[in-house]
Amino acid sequence: MNHIPHNHACGNTEHGVSRRQMLGTLGGAVGFGSLLQPGIAAEIKKQNKQVCLIWLDGGMSQYESWHPLPESKFGGPFRSIKTSIPGVHFSELVPETAKIAHKISVIRTMETKDPNHSTGVPRIQRGDPIDRGVTYPHLGSAVAKLLGPANPNLPPYLWIKPGNGGFIAKEAGFLGAQYGTLALGDGKPPIHIHRPDGVSSEIDAARNALRLKANERFKAYRGASEIDAYETSYAMARQLMARKEIFDDSKMDPKDKERYGTHPLGRHILQARRLLEAGVRFIKVNSYHWDTHGDNFNMSQRLIPQLDRPFAALINDLEDRGMLDHTLVIVMSEFGRTPIINSRLGRDHWPDCWSIALAGCGIKRGAIIGETTKDGAFVNSEGYDIGHLFHTIFTLLGLNPRKTRYRIKGQKLAIAHDDCEPIKEVMQ
Amino acid sequence: MNTPVLDVKKAWVSRELKHDRQLFRAQFSPDGRFIAAGGQDKLVHVWELDGEKKKTFNSHKTWVSSLVFHPKAKRLFTADYLGVIHCWNHEAGGGPQWTIPTADQDNVRALIVTPDGRFLISGGDDATVKVWNTDNGKPVASLEGHKECIFSLAISPDGKHLVSGDLYGSVRQWGIGSWKFERELDAKILHTRLDNFIADVGGVRSLAFNKDSKLLAVGGMKEAKSNAFCPGKPTVLIFDWATGKQKTELRIKGKSDGPFNAMCFLEDGTLTGHTEILHSDSELTFWETNAPEPLHSIKNGSAYDLSLHPDGRQLLVTTYVSGGSSGNGARKRHRDQYTPNTTNLKIFSLFSKSAAEKAGC
Repeated sequence: MNHIPHNHACGNTEHGVSRRQMLGTLGGAVGFGSLLQPGIAAEIKKQNKQVCLIWLDGGMSQYESWHPLPESKFGGPFRSIKTSIPGVHFSELVPETAKIAHKISVIRTMETKDPNHSTGVPRIQRGDPIDRGVTYPHLGSAVAKLLGPANPNLPPYLWIKPGNGGFIAKEAGFLGAQYGTLALGDGKPPIHIHRPDGVSSEIDAARNALRLKANERFKAYRGASEIDAYETSYAMARQLMARKEIFDDSKMDPKDKERYGTHPLGRHILQARRLLEAGVRFIKVNSYHWDTHGDNFNMSQRLIPQLDRPFAALINDLEDRGMLDHTLVIVMSEFGRTPIINSRLGRDHWPDCWSIALAGCGIKRGAIIGETTKDGAFVNSEGYDIGHLFHTIFTLLGLNPRKTRYRIKGQKLAIAHDDCEPIKEVMQ
Repeated sequence: MNTPVLDVKKAWVSRELKHDRQLFRAQFSPDGRFIAAGGQDKLVHVWELDGEKKKTFNSHKTWVSSLVFHPKAKRLFTADYLGVIHCWNHEAGGGPQWTIPTADQDNVRALIVTPDGRFLISGGDDATVKVWNTDNGKPVASLEGHKECIFSLAISPDGKHLVSGDLYGSVRQWGIGSWKFERELDAKILHTRLDNFIADVGGVRSLAFNKDSKLLAVGGMKEAKSNAFCPGKPTVLIFDWATGKQKTELRIKGKSDGPFNAMCFLEDGTLTGHTEILHSDSELTFWETNAPEPLHSIKNGSAYDLSLHPDGRQLLVTTYVSGGSSGNGARKRHRDQYTPNTTNLKIFSLFSKSAAEKAGC
């Protein structure tokens, strides 16, 4: 579990409210608290909007995916292929997505500010708001706070990632640990999800009551955050314990496994679909090692198809299930990759003009947004920073980013960058 | 004119041909009169070395990935990332004499011609070695057995054997003419796939026989640390050709982190190879192959190909040149000057300048 600093007896009633919200949330209530008008909250709940963020950590090359430009001086060696949108081409490395291009949108003029991973990843995932000396939550934690769980019996924010899992409190920033995420290492549930056979449900309940009592006593003399993190992670694990079937491989259609692919990203996006079907509000799926400074073209040839098939399968499946209209799917990284090709035949970091793909939940179908210079190196129309994207996401989720505010220690804080607006071109 | 004494420790750059885009392959013609090169601009460039004349051949629709001259006829074979091979008359110019439109499902990564000039051999992404008639581009044989893409080809100087190297570090030996599989040499150390990788890294990027076919050099890199930067330890494995056993593992002196993309043996048995590094200087390295440490190395930019002139005294090195904008983004201030990196085709004379003066060259 990530360390959250103590904030002993700060006396801020917000903590108590947040904790009650969280417990209410986990118990079944919708955690809008004082953030939203009850009518709006009810509408959002009715719409039951969900999000799947597919995060390609390190940065996928726009030239080898959504904006190929093989005839330009910066284009790569791969073919540019027709998509289902007349006149629009993608790289040959995304043939399955090319077939469903009419169901998604691509923004080709993302123009962000940070060329570094260490600062860029949190900056992008937090929406790069105006610096007010506080640590903003990552998008998933923000949505968990602002919308609460879509299914009251499931955690609002889960993160599927390679490697180890565990509760990641730091994603929540100033919201406090209870809005952190439970990371599912390799898409698997927490290892202690199964109640041992020798422990009856009655004994388990009694043990849990004792644990809660001990927590309350301990918390009386301590700051809430660490206890909240522990409590939240425990509650999330118990929720998942009750829904073991979501992770049961034997219940998965073998054809789905084939369609999504057996590599980690394919398996993880398929698991994300199952969690979306179960009602998880926000799922982040991470894939690492996209930072192709070396051997970009050999690596892109092998990496990008690992996104292409499961992404296209996810969009098709969500549509088939009637879920695409209320599920927002985002494919992005912290930046794109340089037009110039370096000495190792790689591409470096390029925030100046790069592409993302979006679908569902009010995203236009078949829209290709933005004009770049002919060689794709620079934005030649309006460039969109991450703040614009956050405004867009929140708006699509039924929030008004101009009016909705976090309340932290008496401060009202904008949920997205004050100077940005939604990207209307990409919204229906 | 006397032939100067080979002395790699005194090697110097005697000529440079600069090009405004990155080139991946450059070779001397067998008569030593021409240099042909290809790369990102999709064009095939042929420089006539006696003077400054240059021809450009334009038919490839994507990056040129490989090229080789016919050993006897006035033919140049070039291949690209879309699986196309063209045959040109590099002296007369004009369009392709013939074309193979689908020599590979994707990238043709390696080309070689048998010493008798009869067969053109290709290897690439579809993991199949293919043999073509050099007169007309008609298929002759298809050699299957590799399980991943083929990066490199070499033919023993006696003209009897072909070797092909792949991503997994498998070097397969085939009979020239019989086109039968003969044996496999193990260079798997040049392939890396750690548990957290999402792609295979490395492979047999270069192959070279010494002149009496007793040694085979297998080049690449080992111990890649990631599939993103793809940094590894540039490595050459020396195999005893008779036994197929590895004899020596050659290292570099400097800090390069990319594979050996090209190697060749000099007439005195010295092996030379070149590797890559990110945003820094790499090195041209020379070894006596019985010892792992280099005999000599020369600081140079990253390079992708080597070619030995038929006089045995000049080495062509396809050298990357940074345009000054390499590295991570946010370079809007250079928007108008943001241009691709370039190439310097450096000819290293492999003897001392004073020897050159004495020899009158």
